[in-house]
Amino acid sequence: MSNTEVVQVAGPVRIPAPPEFPVVWDSPDDEQLSWLHDRMHNPDPVLPLESAFWGRVYEAFSRATEAYEMPVRLKTRYINTYFYMAIKSVVPPEQVEAQNKRAEEKMDVVMARLGDAWTAEWLPEIRSHLAWWDAFDLAGAAMPDLLRHLEDTMDRVSRLWELHFRIVLPSYMAMSQFDDLYRDLFGGDGAFGSYRLLQGFDNKTLEADRALWDLSRRALASAAVRRILEHSPATAVLSDFGKSAAGRVFRDELRTYLEQYGLRGEKWGLSYPCWIEDPAAAITNLKGYITRSGPDPRTEQAKLAAERDHAVTGVRGRLQGYPQPVIERFEFLLKAAQAGVVLSEDHGYWIDFGSTYRVRRVVLEIGRRFFEAGAIDRPTDVFHLTLDELLGSAAVRSLGDRRSLVELRRREVERFRAVSAPPALGTDNGPPPDDPMNRFFGKFFGGPPQALEEPDVLKGNAGSPGKVRGPAKVVRSLSEAGKLQKGDVLVAETTAPPWTPLFATAAAIVTDTGGVLSHCAVVAREYRVPAVVGTGRATTTIRDGQILEVDGDAGLVRIDPA
Amino acid sequence: MSRETVTPSVAWLGRGECHDCALLGGKASNLCHLAAEHRVPPGFCLTADAYDHALTTGLAADEGSAPTPLPPELFEELVRAYRELGDRCGLDAPSVAVRSSALDEDGAGASFAGQHETYLNIVGVAAVAEAVAHCWASVRSLRALEYRRRQGLPLDGVRIAVLVQQLIPADVSSVVFSANPVTGSRDEVVINASWGLGESIVGGTVTPDTYVVRKADMAVASRQIAEKRQMTVSVPGGTREVDVPRFLRSQPTLRDDQAVEMARLGVTLEGRMGHPVDMECAHHGGRLYLLQCRPITTLAGCW
Repeated sequence: MSNTEVVQVAGPVRIPAPPEFPVVWDSPDDEQLSWLHDRMHNPDPVLPLESAFWGRVYEAFSRATEAYEMPVRLKTRYINTYFYMAIKSVVPPEQVEAQNKRAEEKMDVVMARLGDAWTAEWLPEIRSHLAWWDAFDLAGAAMPDLLRHLEDTMDRVSRLWELHFRIVLPSYMAMSQFDDLYRDLFGGDGAFGSYRLLQGFDNKTLEADRALWDLSRRALASAAVRRILEHSPATAVLSDFGKSAAGRVFRDELRTYLEQYGLRGEKWGLSYPCWIEDPAAAITNLKGYITRSGPDPRTEQAKLAAERDHAVTGVRGRLQGYPQPVIERFEFLLKAAQAGVVLSEDHGYWIDFGSTYRVRRVVLEIGRRFFEAGAIDRPTDVFHLTLDELLGSAAVRSLGDRRSLVELRRREVERFRAVSAPPALGTDNGPPPDDPMNRFFGKFFGGPPQALEEPDVLKGNAGSPGKVRGPAKVVRSLSEAGKLQKGDVLVAETTAPPWTPLFATAAAIVTDTGGVLSHCAVVAREYRVPAVVGTGRATTTIRDGQILEVDGDAGLVRIDPA
Repeated sequence: MSRETVTPSVAWLGRGECHDCALLGGKASNLCHLAAEHRVPPGFCLTADAYDHALTTGLAADEGSAPTPLPPELFEELVRAYRELGDRCGLDAPSVAVRSSALDEDGAGASFAGQHETYLNIVGVAAVAEAVAHCWASVRSLRALEYRRRQGLPLDGVRIAVLVQQLIPADVSSVVFSANPVTGSRDEVVINASWGLGESIVGGTVTPDTYVVRKADMAVASRQIAEKRQMTVSVPGGTREVDVPRFLRSQPTLRDDQAVEMARLGVTLEGRMGHPVDMECAHHGGRLYLLQCRPITTLAGCW
């Protein structure tokens, strides 16, 4: 925001909305809340149909906090095509501490059995929902059945995302509390002391990346396949594979890979095509990987695991003379955090991407019907309609011609896509109280970016250790990923799981969003690639080719250092 | 007590032979009595005779002289005793506290609090021997002699015993007063408790929890849970005062039944001593250990 000055004032400060981003509040109460744009998960304008989806997602967060007796709920507002969220306390200030204590006790019970709960309860239920979608004959369903299926789908979205937050809250709280305890015990042991004890575990994200790596090794084994990946443009690769026997075999292997790991678009949400629909991102990664002879990811993972076990042994030794309650809490949180760090990725494979892909298929099938009935110009225009508009159309005919409506809404989205959404709206109520939950939020979202005196230095959060120099490549979407060469610094607004294969190519990662517990930082540490996350303005400040010095321990990025 | 039954150099806590105040000093001989009936961490004393013997074999006794290694025959005895202590603790190399016990300390007219050395978390016989040598030297330290001068105590012929005792890695340490030290009330037991080893309470660097137990019905009359910011823990080669992790700071150190157990012990020892007492205790692994017990009112001689 150019027209605001940061002034340190005690007490709440109203945040003026920029003129190009007018805001009308429903109530004065709303304006008094601190509304934040979740740029890490939701950086782009949200299309009308997606807004119903995100509405269910955010409602589910509050059901999970209620289940854990946490004294907060999440409120959301869909403002100028962007989602804003505010944390609202539901108990009077004098009761917050007692309520937090109840919540911690409740969450301890779940943290004690994270791994078991995942295997015995959560994953089986998630799989049963996915199986329900897979059993439905989308193409063969009559329109009324399809619309009823959409209604049921949205109910399952609600349930799955309640599960999602019931899983991630204790998973991340375990990691954050483990880090809190580690810092209490050992103080300034670098930014990553505690996280070294959580590294080297396998998860679905790494598994998917490894499968892609393995595919690249098989590509190298066939001269024909290798030649195509080296020379054909990404868009022509699939058809070129069809021209030879070896190419066809490899194409089948790629398809098998996509069926298992390609149910994901480039970001969170409904409107991004998944790799299985458009494998360009996977092919771009393969094209990058075949130029590389790096070590097998399994070797690296084994090293990380060995380092972790060594670090755990060392810390246990240091704690030998400590009171038993300290040792017990350390062991409790270590176990929970080690389970949590795996679930912090695995839940996303199944819910954020696995289930969302299935929701997307339902919507696209309805879009196809509308398109065939001439109501819209292309199936994906269905995302510009609202859920109520879809459900209200018991028959295709009653929908009528929605093309001008779609066009109007498309223009609205484009208008606000050109505007950068203000990071905060409403009222700045100052830093939240220092409690375990807020410390977790801070480590996950990264807190507000800090301005520095030096214009050529970006201050972000320490994401992954190490210091390197390299030329910047600003990648705004995976379609631009091809320009990232070995040794480049990947600069991105945010990195959802489908971006992580690029971590094997990048020399370092710099993002606008996130904290030390963000997905990007957690996975960067597994790739042992330095990362500075949550700079707030890397993608708008840095240009391609500028030399960056990335200091992952200090959370600093120097542009064109001397 | 017949001196013939005493090993001249080593005396074990809790065995009848070691009650001799003239051989062990007040601190150690008190503990010796207590160890016979209560759970006192296992340990032994290098007696004043051992000190005398070392003097005769060339231990430097000059003012401010540096520690001298133990004579070989005493070192051998120490090796045997430390090994036996290890057997009792179920450990190859138990962590011990090595403390001096001057023969006119504790129970004499002057309190020698802090005047002689204490070494905590000493592991291995070589380190124990070194700590013993330091304890002996401490008797002749300039600081100790200056203290004696000011107290009008004799400067010559000071004798010292050294107590080597298993260091209990306390989860909680407590100081128990069998009478209220503030109000003087003899109807209640007051307990101060904090995390870790007792040094942080004794040294006053932490505000401990305070439990008051009524003697009439042995019920906890009040508990004040403090924000305990510091604790002393064992670290390799010694101890260190560290921050208490946030999650633990405001948690109560004791359950009521633990407070009552200590109060009962305090009342028992008060009855035995005929005086209100203050005790130092440690809880570890769910067990209560008695580390020290003294009359609150200063009384002459051994009991």
